[in-house]
Parts: sequence; C-alpha cells; structure tokens
Amino acid sequence: MNFFDCNAFLGLPALRPLAPVATAEDFLAEMDRAGVERAFVWHISQYDGAPRVGNQLLAEAIAPHPRLVGCWTVLPNQAREFPPPDELFRQMQAARVAALRVFPNTHKFLLNAVSMGELLEAMVARRVPLFVSVKRGMAWHDVYNLLAEFPDLVCVICDHGCWGEDRMFRPLLERYPHVYVDTAQYLLDGGIESLVADYGPQRVLFGSGFPESYFGGMMLALKHARIPDEAKALIAGGNLERIIQEAQQ
Amino acid sequence: MIGISALAREFWEDGKSASCPIIDMHGHMGNFHSIYFPRGDTAAMIGTMDECGVRMLVFSHHTALFSPDLANTRSVEAVRQFPDRLRAYCAINPNYPEIVEREVASFDSLFPDVYVGFKFLSDYHQIPLTDDRYRPAWEYADALGLLVLAHTWGGSRFDGEDVARQVAERYPNVKFLLGHSCHGAWDAAVQLARDFPNVYLELTAVFDDRDIIEKFVREAGSDRMLFGTDLPWFDPHHAVGVLLNAGITDDDRHNICHRNAERLLAPLIGR
Repeated sequence: MNFFDCNAFLGLPALRPLAPVATAEDFLAEMDRAGVERAFVWHISQYDGAPRVGNQLLAEAIAPHPRLVGCWTVLPNQAREFPPPDELFRQMQAARVAALRVFPNTHKFLLNAVSMGELLEAMVARRVPLFVSVKRGMAWHDVYNLLAEFPDLVCVICDHGCWGEDRMFRPLLERYPHVYVDTAQYLLDGGIESLVADYGPQRVLFGSGFPESYFGGMMLALKHARIPDEAKALIAGGNLERIIQEAQQ
Repeated sequence: MIGISALAREFWEDGKSASCPIIDMHGHMGNFHSIYFPRGDTAAMIGTMDECGVRMLVFSHHTALFSPDLANTRSVEAVRQFPDRLRAYCAINPNYPEIVEREVASFDSLFPDVYVGFKFLSDYHQIPLTDDRYRPAWEYADALGLLVLAHTWGGSRFDGEDVARQVAERYPNVKFLLGHSCHGAWDAAVQLARDFPNVYLELTAVFDDRDIIEKFVREAGSDRMLFGTDLPWFDPHHAVGVLLNAGITDDDRHNICHRNAERLLAPLIGR
C-alpha cells in the first residue's frame, strides 16, 4: 500500500503542543519513519494566524518537496483579500496547491452562497476539493447547509471524531456523491469495513490528523481491515490521487 | 511499515504477535445510544480480539453502566460464554445504593471466575468518586486488593485529577486504574502515578494524542501503563499502530501490551 495522507499540517501552533513539527523537512522525516509516501498538507498558521500568512508559509515550505501537496485556506472575499477564483486557481497550481480549506466558525463567517457563492460555484465547476474539519471550525449543521446549497461540491469531511459520528456523516455520503470522509480519529472497530460495505471504498480517504495524532494508528488499522487489497489501496491513497487529478485548476 | 522494530514487522505482517499478546484492560460491550457499533456483540468482539492478538479483555457491559434494571447480568453472561477470553468489572452506579449493595454482596460468588474488580463511571453518573455511595465497593476492593477502573477526565469535578488523588490516598490497597489517564491533565496523571504505587495509567483514548505515550514512558515509566481501547469503540489495531509508531522501545511495548496487566491479574485469576 502507498499511503497518501489527506489530512496533516505542519508549522508551529500558537499554543505549543508536546511535539511540534516545524518544518517540511521535519515533517518528511516523520513520514519516512512511518512509511507514508506523500501527504496533502496545510499550515497551522492558516488557522491560528491568518489564512494569507499561512498560505504563503505553506507554499514556501512545500516548494522544494514534491512529495507534499498543499491545501490553502480561503475566506469570503467581499473585502477582496484574495484574488478572483480564476486567478486564485492559477496561483494554487503554480504553488502545487490542489485544494482549499475553510474554518468558518473560527474565522467568523457563514459558509454559504451569500458569503462565498462565486468561489464555491467555481470550485464545483472545476471540481476543486474543499476540506472541512469538524474538529476545527466547522459544525455538522454548517456542513449540511453547505451541501444543500452546493450538492455537487467535492467535499472532504475531516476529523469527524472518535466518539461516534456515523449518524452525522452517513446521510451525507448517501445524498451527495462527491462527499468523502477521512480516517483521522475514525477509530471505530469495524468502521472502515462497514463504510466500504455500505458506500464502497471510493468514499474514504486515509488521513492521519498528524501531528496531533500518529501516522501509524490508522495505517495499521487499514492494513488489517477486512476489505480487499484493492479497496485498501484506494483508501490509502488512490482515491485522493483521483480527486486531485479530476480537479481542473 | 510503521516502525523498524521486530514487533513492528510482526504486527505489520500478521496483525498480531505471538510474543506480544495483548491484554485489554478497558472494554465495554453491547449497544449504546450515541454510537453505531459494527462489532458490538460478544462474538464479534471476540473476532476482533482474535485478529488483533488480544488474549483477554476486561470489560463492563454498556447495560451494566447505563441500564440499572439489568445491572451486571449481561457482563456475567458474556464471561461465562468466553471464560478464557473475558473478565468483567462489576459496574457500580451510585445513583442506586440499593443496587450497589446487592452487586457488592454478589461479588464474592463471582470472583475470580467472572469479576476481577469494579468499574466507576462518575462523569456519566454525575456523582464524584469520593462520594459515600461508592464506599461499599471501594472498601471491598481495598480489603481484597482488587482492581478499580475509574473513568478519569482532566478537570472533572466527578473524576478529575484532584478527585482521583483523594481516593488514591484513601484506598492504598486498591489497584487503581486511571481510565483515560485523567485525559488532558497529562502532567497530573504522571504525578499520580509517581506519588502512588497502586495507580496505573490506562490508555484508552490516549492513543489518539501524539507524544503522550512517549511522555508517560519517559516520566512515569512503561511499567505503569496499561493497554485499553473501550472495545467495541476503538479498533485495537489503531492502538497497536500508535505504540509501534511511537518513539519507545519494544520492551516498553511489551510492558504496556501485556506484562503489566499480567502482573495485576495474576494474583486475582492465577494467570
């Protein structure tokens, strides 16, 4: 299996954690130690500091490292803090950034057509994925409302937690064909197998939640999940690879 | 592969290890209202244990914790069905002192074939661990040197680090397992383990917080840490994967996975 982690960040959080991973080089060393081939990363300053600051830090950090693909953070653009969608996508492509993240609760906005319709419509048209974190800045009601307005959005729901969120995300998997869930904190015994049985292996992406979680936990869980090897390969990295290739920046 | 040690290679290839069996000291069983369990029944849990190399699970059935009408009956039935693989904690719900009295009175007849200790879930039952309504169970456990697995959560007024310290002082003969290791109050959990030789750091839900395993090994010692998963909540392979990926030695992993639990259980069930 080739692991392509869809949910990891680098950089120093405002509040010091036990084991920060400051640089891309440190991050890659941890990937090597765990056996992760590639990672889809964002920078914690996009959340703790300011999106534009974190986006720039991320671009600089990943530029020399082709194993790292970036994910930028955006805001509503009424104040023209970001370029228009076409120019934003062009800048993303130049920086090896393949998706966007939003943290509406923390960054004080509503994620809907009124606030961000122009960008979200462009993302739907070009299949640019939007990553949201239930742990960080996005409540389930907001996810439901967003997808009701943009049912064709490619949306990856991350960090949905370890205490039982199937009843929250399964209706979304049923209703919206371009919704995915990651495995970070999805510790449920038999959870991966159950999702694959009900929705197929295409809807689950390997995500570690690193550096707040270990790479190895969900790697071993996936390695020994009771699903075919082909399904494991898709979850480990094949699905994420396809999603990125389908995006037309 | 998630590590370079001999155990990492073995678990990665086989999913389990002949030399490193697992004793899971914190399990549950059966349905619970706020989560869907694909493998929540007894037989399915045994299947998971087989796959992951879990030799024994010590657990409290969800009904024992949340359905006072049934108390510990489902736990007892399950252990009798799989006596070589399961032991139970006698769950105590202090909201019903009359049931507590009855369950403690029945303990002797079920020890050690079924029970090896007590389980307290104070955050959920909303009565502090220090409350008199737990006293019959605490005193019984203290007299016999039994295990007490208490849910402990950092800052909680029911079972946080300060409350845990009070009962650790009060009952020195109890083998006091800090379920979830005072989750979030990691320094306080380490200090409890350092201050009280009868206190152990149980790792359910700790595995998802990077570098806490290393901190505990460094500051409390791997001989004070116990493997736990809340099974059927969490996949044991996730916990094992974390242990293999963490910056600790295979010797530490043996301590955490089975040696410490063997040492605790041996006087109780003769293994």
